[in-house]
Amino acid sequence: MDQLNSYLFIAAILFSLGVFGVITRRNGIAVLMGVELILNAANINFIAFSRFGGMNFDGHVFGLLVIVLAAAEAAVALAIIINIYNNMNTINVDQASQLKQ
Amino acid sequence: MTNLQSLDLFWPELIITVVILTALIVDLCIEKSKSDVVGWVLVIGLLITAIAIWNQDKTTTTLFTDMIVLDPFATFFKLLIILSTLLVAVVSWQNNELDEYRKGEYFTLLGILVLGLFLMASSIDLIMVYISIEVVSIMSFILAGYLKLDTRSNEAGLKYVVYGAFSSGIMLFGLSILFGLTGSTNYFIIQKSLAGLDGSASAALVMALLMILAGFGYKISAVPFHFWTPDVYEGAPTTITAYLSVAPKAAGFAIIIRFFHQVFADGGALADAESLSMTDVPWPEIIGILAVATMTLGNLVAIQQESIKRMLAYSSVAHAGYMMLALPVLSIQTVYAIMVYLVMYLFMNLGAFFVVITVKNKTGGETFDDYRGLGWEMPFIGVVMTLFMLSLTGLPPTAGFIGKFYIFSALISGGSQYYWLAIVGGINSVISLYYYFHVVKVMFLEGERKETLVQPPEVMSGVLLATAIPVFLFGIYWNPVVNWVQNSLIFYVQTM
Amino acid sequence: MIENYFPIFIVFIVAAGFTFVSLIMTHILGPRITNPVKLMPYESGVDPLAETRIRFSIRFFIIALLFIIFDIEIIFLYPWAVVFKDFLSFGSFIFFEMVIFLAILVFGYVYVWRNGALDWE
Repeated sequence: MDQLNSYLFIAAILFSLGVFGVITRRNGIAVLMGVELILNAANINFIAFSRFGGMNFDGHVFGLLVIVLAAAEAAVALAIIINIYNNMNTINVDQASQLKQ
Repeated sequence: MTNLQSLDLFWPELIITVVILTALIVDLCIEKSKSDVVGWVLVIGLLITAIAIWNQDKTTTTLFTDMIVLDPFATFFKLLIILSTLLVAVVSWQNNELDEYRKGEYFTLLGILVLGLFLMASSIDLIMVYISIEVVSIMSFILAGYLKLDTRSNEAGLKYVVYGAFSSGIMLFGLSILFGLTGSTNYFIIQKSLAGLDGSASAALVMALLMILAGFGYKISAVPFHFWTPDVYEGAPTTITAYLSVAPKAAGFAIIIRFFHQVFADGGALADAESLSMTDVPWPEIIGILAVATMTLGNLVAIQQESIKRMLAYSSVAHAGYMMLALPVLSIQTVYAIMVYLVMYLFMNLGAFFVVITVKNKTGGETFDDYRGLGWEMPFIGVVMTLFMLSLTGLPPTAGFIGKFYIFSALISGGSQYYWLAIVGGINSVISLYYYFHVVKVMFLEGERKETLVQPPEVMSGVLLATAIPVFLFGIYWNPVVNWVQNSLIFYVQTM
Repeated sequence: MIENYFPIFIVFIVAAGFTFVSLIMTHILGPRITNPVKLMPYESGVDPLAETRIRFSIRFFIIALLFIIFDIEIIFLYPWAVVFKDFLSFGSFIFFEMVIFLAILVFGYVYVWRNGALDWE
């Protein structure tokens, strides 16, 4: 299944880029973009397996649900970041470190 | 079962949904100063849900075409969740931290959390696992950052969002690989496919399972996925900290037990853990090492803490470690031990956090310095806190001792290769004695005696008694708990 | 089959190459005289009058957020619409299932509306 492998390869690359984004970036919104990349990589995985592996549509349905949940999570995360910006006037995640001991 | 037939057995969740919508509407119609009324709506709704759960038929079946399952194991966790939510909702009325915020949305979000936790405890499909974990996580993000004007709460919310979304994403990637290897999202079909899998896919399977363990480990604060726990627990409102340390952890353990029990151990058909090492990776040893790391790190770092809230956060990490100790054996006896421990842990941990809330309402502080002489100034609080600290350490005759006794005896009867886990658990209990008794020492042996004795408000006293009496009672007479767990230890196993 | 796409590849190379070559050549061959006036932001020849960053009103974000959430709700209607006709033979329950789902979301919409998130725009 060469086509399946190429889809999985792309999903793996997206996953790695997403993980790199979450771990490395200082900007809160860039961290969220990394998280979205990870979720979309998993989505590509699901749809590729469902297309090339069998004829039931579990993977496609799961993909739709993941899109919805990723959007809801991004909405909540952005609301929290806006709250932080209103209070601390920065969206640098390194600067939110009052609780460190 | 089709969707329409399943609705007959879905009454508790339907009632919770109606309660959430009612709470939303009530929150719109009342003004901000009277927003405690929504709390009443939630408490009454939870009591009705508990009655609905008690009156349900004791059938064991799957609902909604094999998405969620209705069996006594799930009912046990649902009742635990309702109990903890009731206690936390009652205490939330008294909490002064929330006074300048609208409480209507707070109680609505608690209701949605309860619904998500119910689904977590009943899910047997990968889709349901992901959806329920996400519902619980997203509501927890909002509740952790609820105090909008407090920068510590904002920071707690931010850290929780980043860690939580990242871990959920990794778990989802692992779930996708597992789906690809086995062709289905249902636990039963996955188990059959995995049994017939040859060794060529074992690398992918190991990767998938490691990633899924990362997601589950984040939910129960296992090391090395615990980094969000101290900051979130310290910054969030204390009632939410109390809730997060008990209810999502219990539901997380339900998911882990069901996942490993069904996907690997074939629903109990295998009595020992041989099947867990099916991929040449020594899973029992890995989980054992993670459990030991969790316990040890939780206990060692808790010693150095200045703030009681942060100390209790690390101590709850350590308690998750004690419960994880029993997982490598994976027999019915260990599941039984984990469930008994969860009941005891609920009461003692909630009680300890409620004492912190009471003290914070009175004196506004949460460091050890604010607890000096508290034993003499508020003797009721002093006695109750001592009882909770004794129980958290695991000394007889408290409930914590019974919980640890069951865990260790389940470990030892699992085989001689697990003796070292029990020994490390014992050593960790001794280490935890130091910081739990530090609290007692500061309360009673430091600070000067005050002449006036202060009593906490009646509702707080009532709740503290409601958590302290079981902690003491179950240490002496624990038969009711054990019988309840014994009757709930029936999993749904699909005979195909 | 991929050989059919070869001309597109040539167009891509020419377009990208032209862009890059012109940028690099001007960077190498151009004179390097800087001058404070050249570095100021352009505002039709006069001195800059006001701060360039405007205060971003939060209402834009709230409207965008609500749009995303309700758009996501519509995603759920697509699979339902695909299987609707087949399930209609089992009775009318499938219709009321979706009505209940939309009713719950209408509750959310009423909550948003009464809380004033849709005002002033």
